[in-house]
Amino acid sequence: MSRAVWLYLIRIPEALLAVGATTALLYLTRPWLNTPTVALLYLLPVGVSTALWGLPSGIAAAVAAFFAFNYFFLPPYFTLQVLQPQESIDLVVFLVVAITMSQLLGATQASLARAEAREREARHLYELSTALLGLTDLESIARTIADRVLLSLPGAKVGILLEPGKGASRTEVFLPARVSEHPGRPSLSVPIQGMRGLLGEIEVWSARGGSASEDERRLLHTYGSAAALAIERAQLAAADNRAQLLAQSDAFKSALLSSVSHELRSPLSTIKASVTSLLGAEVDWDSEAKQELLEAVDEETDHLNLLVGNLLDMTRIEAGYLQPKRNWNVLADIVRSVTERMRRSLGEHQLQVEVSEDLPLVPVDYVQIEQVFANLISNSAKYSAPGSVVRIRAWQLDQAWLQVQVHNQGPAVPAEDLGRIFDKFHRVTASDRVTGIGLGLSICKAIVEAHGGRIWAENTPQGMAFNFTLPLTWEGTVPSVAEEK
Amino acid sequence: MSQQPHVLVIDDEPQILRAIRTILAAKHFRVTTASRGEEGLTLAATQMPDVIILDLSLPDLDGIEVCTRLREWTQVPIIILTVRDGERDKVLALDRGADDYLTKPFGIEELLARLRVALRHSAQAKGSPKAVVTSGPLEIDLANFRVSRNGVEVKLTATEFKLLAHLAANAGRVLTHHAILTAVWGSEYAEHVEYLRVYMRQLRKKLEDDPDHPQILTTELGIGYRFVLEG
Repeated sequence: MSRAVWLYLIRIPEALLAVGATTALLYLTRPWLNTPTVALLYLLPVGVSTALWGLPSGIAAAVAAFFAFNYFFLPPYFTLQVLQPQESIDLVVFLVVAITMSQLLGATQASLARAEAREREARHLYELSTALLGLTDLESIARTIADRVLLSLPGAKVGILLEPGKGASRTEVFLPARVSEHPGRPSLSVPIQGMRGLLGEIEVWSARGGSASEDERRLLHTYGSAAALAIERAQLAAADNRAQLLAQSDAFKSALLSSVSHELRSPLSTIKASVTSLLGAEVDWDSEAKQELLEAVDEETDHLNLLVGNLLDMTRIEAGYLQPKRNWNVLADIVRSVTERMRRSLGEHQLQVEVSEDLPLVPVDYVQIEQVFANLISNSAKYSAPGSVVRIRAWQLDQAWLQVQVHNQGPAVPAEDLGRIFDKFHRVTASDRVTGIGLGLSICKAIVEAHGGRIWAENTPQGMAFNFTLPLTWEGTVPSVAEEK
Repeated sequence: MSQQPHVLVIDDEPQILRAIRTILAAKHFRVTTASRGEEGLTLAATQMPDVIILDLSLPDLDGIEVCTRLREWTQVPIIILTVRDGERDKVLALDRGADDYLTKPFGIEELLARLRVALRHSAQAKGSPKAVVTSGPLEIDLANFRVSRNGVEVKLTATEFKLLAHLAANAGRVLTHHAILTAVWGSEYAEHVEYLRVYMRQLRKKLEDDPDHPQILTTELGIGYRFVLEG
């Protein structure tokens, strides 16, 4: 408060000057004025001083006007003596009126200033709340608060310390510089108080040093509450996210369990049925029937093997361990290995491979890419008619990418399903018609993306195709081999 | 060596042992089985089998350890059994001297094919090292640095010949990238698989009838290469 009073006091000479000027003007126009008019006109500088420079100036002006009025305009002139008692009363009345008017004006002025300050505070608070809306990390929350404090208190230095609860790391933001440059203790330090304890602190070193004003304190307290709200909102959002993830993972596991138990059992039933038929002594199978039963067993074991591979991969993906063990590989080698392994289980489907040995080397995890091919080929065979062609092609897109396509002559996939067939458990056809967990394609997606490529499906005039890209560079380089002459 | 080739199978799964014993006996092999590593090592020393089938996951000893200890005193062919995710162990065992591998689950035809190759290899190893290796139309004269295909000489660069000679000298065996790179380029190149890929492609173009479907210089995906002895 002392600072405010001092501010007002330095305005007093101006008030006195205003009274002086009025006196000079009135003295010159004296012949045309009578005494009550002069008294009235003297109220003008008093009012103006109060309005412009505050109550102390107003009172000073009133006192000065009182003396000037007495000295220049009441006989005997140029003395402070008063001849008639009536004039003494006039003088006193003038002083009382002048001072009362100043006070009233001053009070109005002050309440106007307070109202403006409140309005400013409210606006700052509104702007802060708006700025904090949607922020979810402590760092940006702290930075926003610090920015806003600086806007409200120009020239100050601000430190925001956030330490919401155990386990959370401490976040510190200092504007405009590190705290080491701030001398001594902060002039104001306001807690950020949440529902369940202290979340942090706002510290301010004000521009003029010393302790803070009541207004600043109040403003910072409101900022503190806004900050607490924002932090708690962020914490709630994070907790909600975690809960959702857990729920999703839970839902995933139960869906996986139910479909796995079904999917593992169906090939097992085929195998069991075929083998027990062959073991049974009562029927003497002819060689053709025997061959058919055995082929069923063979196919179903391959199917089981692919399934187990997919389950392993899915577990790794869920646990976040799907890191490709890359090495430079020849794509044609990988395709050859898969197709030789799968040729028999493909039954009547024809496999056409157009993957040149001369394609550049690809930096991939060959086990994972084999699994991608196995899944895409088995999927293609599953959804297209026996006897139709499954075609595998690969070509270089540019210096950095290779595109691979596995094409089948199956029915077109509805446009809205093209993007979703790579989702977990998503199936386009009713699941009783075709076997499989619906995991294969989502695994392909995870593996291809782990290699930095992308995968998509499209309908073609002859059927549908799975496409994916593979990188030709590894950590930004291609293999360099010095060629011999 | 008796008429019937003698196979020692070291695996801790009784079902696998039973199946392999039954099938191999039907194919006129003599079969001895062990379900533990130590037992397997003892049987290998006392029974002197012609070939050993070794599962890498054993209850007592690490399969790689068994492999290493066998190689301390015998060159008997070792075929290892692994699962799809056992890539590291597979490569390690091959580097420690195993000759070949099979990934579970495997078909019995595959197993028989590997056994035949291993037995031929061991028969060869017992004789003196050959100066000339032939496979199909290919004839490699290791002593005189000459390679011919269908009787026509094929020009190879020095590195190409060195690579081919190393593979041919170990014909039938699976050689890991690491082993080939170290032998041909030197240990500082042991991790540069890309060298091998490029040179193998060049060799295949010069030597194979159909470089896209190699019959002699075959790829063991992710592991290495093999020189196949045909016919």
